[in-house]
This record gives sequence, C-alpha cells and structure tokens, in this order.
Amino acid sequence: MARVVLTIALACHAAGAGLAAIGELRHGAILERAGAALLSAAWAGELAALILLGVATDAYPLRTGPEYLLVLGWFVLTLHLALWLRSGVRAASLVLPPIAGIMVLSASLFAVDRAHEPALPTQGWLVFHTSIATAGVAALAVSFAMSVLFLVKEHALKAKRPLAVLEKLPTLEALDRLGFQALLYGFPLLTVGIATGMVYSGLLHDRLFVWGLKEIFPLIAWIVFAGILWARFARGITGRRSAILAIAGFAFALLTFVGMVR
Amino acid sequence: MPTLVGMNHRSAPLDLRERAAFAEAEIPEALARLRESCGPIEAVILSTCNRTEILSRGDEGAPTAAHLRAFLAASRGIDGETVERHVYVHEGTAAVRHLFSVACGLDSMVLGEPQILGQLKRAYAIAQASGATGPVVDRLVQHALAAAKRIRRATGISRHAVSIASAAAHLARTIFDDLHGRSALLLGAGKMTELAARHLAASGVADVTVTNRTYARAETLAASLDGRAVPWDAYEPELARVDIVLTGTAAAAPVLTKAQVRRALASRRGRPLFIVDIAVPRDVEPSVHELPGVYLYDVDDLQESVDSGLTQRRRAAEEARRLLDVEVASFDRWRQGFDLAPTIAALYDHLHGVGQDEIERYAHRLASLTPEQRAVVLDLTRSLIQKVLHVPVTSLKSAAQRGEAGARAALYREIFGIDPEGRPPLRAIQGGKDD
Repeated sequence: MARVVLTIALACHAAGAGLAAIGELRHGAILERAGAALLSAAWAGELAALILLGVATDAYPLRTGPEYLLVLGWFVLTLHLALWLRSGVRAASLVLPPIAGIMVLSASLFAVDRAHEPALPTQGWLVFHTSIATAGVAALAVSFAMSVLFLVKEHALKAKRPLAVLEKLPTLEALDRLGFQALLYGFPLLTVGIATGMVYSGLLHDRLFVWGLKEIFPLIAWIVFAGILWARFARGITGRRSAILAIAGFAFALLTFVGMVR
Repeated sequence: MPTLVGMNHRSAPLDLRERAAFAEAEIPEALARLRESCGPIEAVILSTCNRTEILSRGDEGAPTAAHLRAFLAASRGIDGETVERHVYVHEGTAAVRHLFSVACGLDSMVLGEPQILGQLKRAYAIAQASGATGPVVDRLVQHALAAAKRIRRATGISRHAVSIASAAAHLARTIFDDLHGRSALLLGAGKMTELAARHLAASGVADVTVTNRTYARAETLAASLDGRAVPWDAYEPELARVDIVLTGTAAAAPVLTKAQVRRALASRRGRPLFIVDIAVPRDVEPSVHELPGVYLYDVDDLQESVDSGLTQRRRAAEEARRLLDVEVASFDRWRQGFDLAPTIAALYDHLHGVGQDEIERYAHRLASLTPEQRAVVLDLTRSLIQKVLHVPVTSLKSAAQRGEAGARAALYREIFGIDPEGRPPLRAIQGGKDD
C-alpha cells in the first residue's frame, strides 16, 4: 500500500516540479500555482506513504538508507513549500523540488517496506537523533539550493550574459542571505543530530564514535559548515567561496546515505 | 460610441505638439468648453510631452471627429488645415484599442515606458473632478488602466533597460536587494556621469560621493545630487565603503587599478562592488572584473544590455498586443451590452403598454371583479409579459457577450416596432425588469 501511495505521490512530485520550474522561468503565475498544488499533493502523498510504511513495518520509518532519503526528500519539499508560501522565493522552485524528487525516487527504488529488526531499548534516542539530523540536512539543502542559484547568477554576471538570464533569479545579495539563513538553522540541528548520534552509539556499542561512513560523512559536513560560519563571522568571507563550500558540505551530509545502506 | 482625436510624436512635429499641449491647469476649463459646445458628452483630455488626445463619448447626435478636430484647432489657436493634416481619429473599437495601447506604453516613443500610465490616471482624475466623465468613459479608462497593469506584469515590457543609464541601474538591481540607501562614488563630473548618477539617484541611491580632478566641479555636481565632494587624491578609502562606483573621466589611462580595488576588498567583508565604467577610453582596468565579488561593466557591456533590452521590449510588445486583443474584446462586449439597454427598456415598455391597453379594452367586462381579483389579473398580465420576454432578452444579452448584439437588436426593434430613442439607459440592464 505504501508503495502505491508513494508512486502516485512521485508522479505528482515530478509533474509539480516540472510545472513550477517552467512557471518560474516563463513568469507564468498559473503554471506556478498548478505546480505548487501538485507539489502539495505530493507532500501529502509522501507523508501518507511514510505513515503507512511505519504501520507496515511497525517501526519509526527512519532507520535505513532509503528511509533516510525518503524522509529527507519530504523535509526538503516541506521547506520548499514553506519558502514558496511565506518568503516569495520563487526561484527555489528550480532546485528544491527536483532535489527532493530525486531523493524520494531513489528511496522508492529500494524495498522501503521491508520489515525491520525488532525495536531496541534505545529506540527513543534513535528517533530523536535521526529526526533532528534529517531536519538539519533538509535545512542545509535549502542552503545548497540558494548556493547553486547564487553561483548561476554570479556566473551570468561575471560572463556578462544578457539580462534576461539574470532576471529570473533573486538578487545576488538575497541568494547569499537566504543561503546563510538556512545554514544558521541547519547547522545547530546537524550539531545536535551528530551529538545525539554519538550518545546513541555509546548506548549501543559502548563507543561514541565507531568510524563508520554514516558517522564520518556527517562529521566532514559539520567541519565544512563550521568553516563557512567561522569564515563568515571572523573573516567576512561571503559570496562565491561560501556558496561552493555550502554545496560541498551538503554533498557530504547527503553521503550519510551511503553509510546507511552499507 | 467612443471617439478619440489626437496627435503624437509620430503624427506631428515637436513645435505643433507644443502648441497643441494643454497645461494641467487649463484642462478643466477646456473640458467645460468642449461640453458647452458639443452637449452633455463624456470626455477626457490627455496631454503629455509626446501626445495630446481628446477621448469623448456621447449618445446619438454626439460630436463627431470633425467637431473634436475643430475644437482642438480653435482652443489651441492652430489652423484647421494643420490640425486636419496631423491628427489621427479613432472611432468605436479602434478608439478603445488605441487607448489601451497608449496605457500599455505600446504607442510611446520609448516602447513600454511606464510614465504614461500615471499620466493617463492623472488625466482621468482631472476629468472626473471636472464632472466630465460618465459610465462609458469611466469604464473605458478604468479598464484601460487595469488592463495595462495586467499586461505590463504578464509581459514584463517595462522591465528591460533601454538606455546606458537605465541599464546600469537595472544591473545594480540584479546585484543588490534594494537600491534605497545604497552608496555610490562618482569618479568624474562630466555630463554622462551626471546623467547616470541621476538615474541611480532616481532608483534610490541616496549617499553619493563625487570626486573630480577639478574639485570645484565635483562640489557643484555633489551639491546638485545632495551628496558630498572629496578631493581627487583622497577618494580611495571610499572604495571600501560604497556599493557602486561610477566612472566617467576624460583620462587617457585607467584611473582605477586592480591593485586599488584589491586593497579596498580587504575591508569590504565580502560585500559586492558594482563598478560602471562609462568612459572611453576606459577608466578602470578590465582585470578588476576578475576580483571576487566585483562586477565591472563598461560602455560596450551596457550597450549590449540596452540592445538586449530593446529586443526584449519588442518581443514583449508583440505578446502585449495579443493580450490587448482579449482586453479590447472584453470591453467591447460590455459596451454592446450597455448599448442594448435602451432597446431592452423599450421592449419591456412596449409589451407592458400592450398589456395595459388590453386591460383597459376589457375594463367593462372586468367591472364585476373585486379589487383583489383585479390586482390578480394585473399581476398575471405583468408576469406573463416578463416570462414571454425572458428568453428573447437573455438571448440578446448572450449575443452581446459574443459581440453580435447589433443586428439582433435591430431585428427585435423591427419585429416589435419599437423605438428606443429617449429611453433612460440602463433601466432594463440593471433591474432586468421594467418595474
């Protein structure tokens, strides 16, 4: 059942992402709204699929790599819809829904509804750790999206491309600011996620750090994001370098998935 | 039927346009004189530096284009033959289309320029305050203003820069969130620099610092821009502070080097710096553009933006004209419905008259009825007429929505032998019933 709902949600997601992107590029308000409506339907569908998955496996659906991608994709879509509705950052339609869609699609390629091992006594920690870490990575996905758009716009300005290309996107300052704001939300969540992960590891293995890929990649991401924050606050480094680092940091955060499927 | 008579930058030379123009203070009196000489018509006079137009509308027997031409000639002291040669006349749907085009900036010298919208709004406000407008002109101008806003938003026709100065301001707006409160440094105090600076100031740049080799000229320009002047050898610290640098000196070699800008970047904490070099030969070393967070645009780059802006405005204008057709058709449907009002009212009057006559003819046979029974007969007659007319009137209104009301209304008038002349308008349209 979860798979059927997920497939329908994915179809809505793909159509919505396409319409939203076309609407943004062509300044088509109707297409944009239709895209947002379909993405909202996808959001509801993906949430329903997650609930059904939890019921089917009798466990919190955030314990495997595919589940991580599924929840992360849903979180990213949630943030996109919130951004779309509240801040009027329409250009995020070009990046966030496709990223979220790829995450959900990748998750759906795996057997997401297989049964879990029995719940552990440390289940509560696991739920808290995975939820908060995933929410943090979703916020960092917004930072990633803004950084990508920043680099596109910066490149167009440096290459002195026709103005039409530049006009589709928010101002350079806005993209830099929004990316940084998302980082300010995502970094503390990621920090708490890593810390609770260490506590969970301590409870499970009697060691705070087991040097698995799912520990190493988030740690590298954390170091990169800490570096961005330090460079910004201490040295005033913003713009292009900050954007490139935010993209790299998000890539490492995403690689946690590799550690989870191994 | 609306009639529009006017002259613009395409139809008349500048000296004639100057003579034909109405000062804002003259318009109320001109409207009063127009209504005095032509009867109770609705009218608006739009007079800008590039056009003078009189839009009018009246019932049958209202002034024709010839009346309006004669009025324009007489009121501006221009001979009739000259007016005849240089004015254009649009009637009915053509007048509606012309007004909508004007509001969208499609008839402007600079395609898509936005000022005309405000000028039309002002002309309408004056006409309204003078009591010169009525239901059709009210609806027409309001529709033109609303349609222009919709079309401008949908096509983005006003967005693209069409001059070097506006291209610079436009580019600045793609880098900075808001130009209000931004700071600019002007290197040079020549005419071109001043023009570009005024454009930036009009876009919100408030803090302007001017430097020039001749300090007195820097002071003069700074004073006219509400800014401040700094000596030529003391401007470098400003590079670390300002958001925009505008250069336009007559120097033979670059006056702003990569090393200078790099030094400034160290204390800018990553804030972007937009440099506009409108000098030929160039004032800024081209390699400055390679520095992180620095965006240097010279005259050629800006010209490219202008060319691209013009192309995009032309493309947007084509789209705007397509959208305009829809808006004109929508107004025409409303107008046809409005024009039907006297016919529909006459139709109801006629049939109710027939009913009344018949009741009177049978009065002696109805004499035995009680007052209550007589009231029932009257109600029955009225109700019967309303029901009989419901379908034909609905069909007539539907025909108006399709733009086919004229012939059908004529047919109705012929079949029922009615003459709508003298009927008060809107009676039937508003109430739907003749009661």
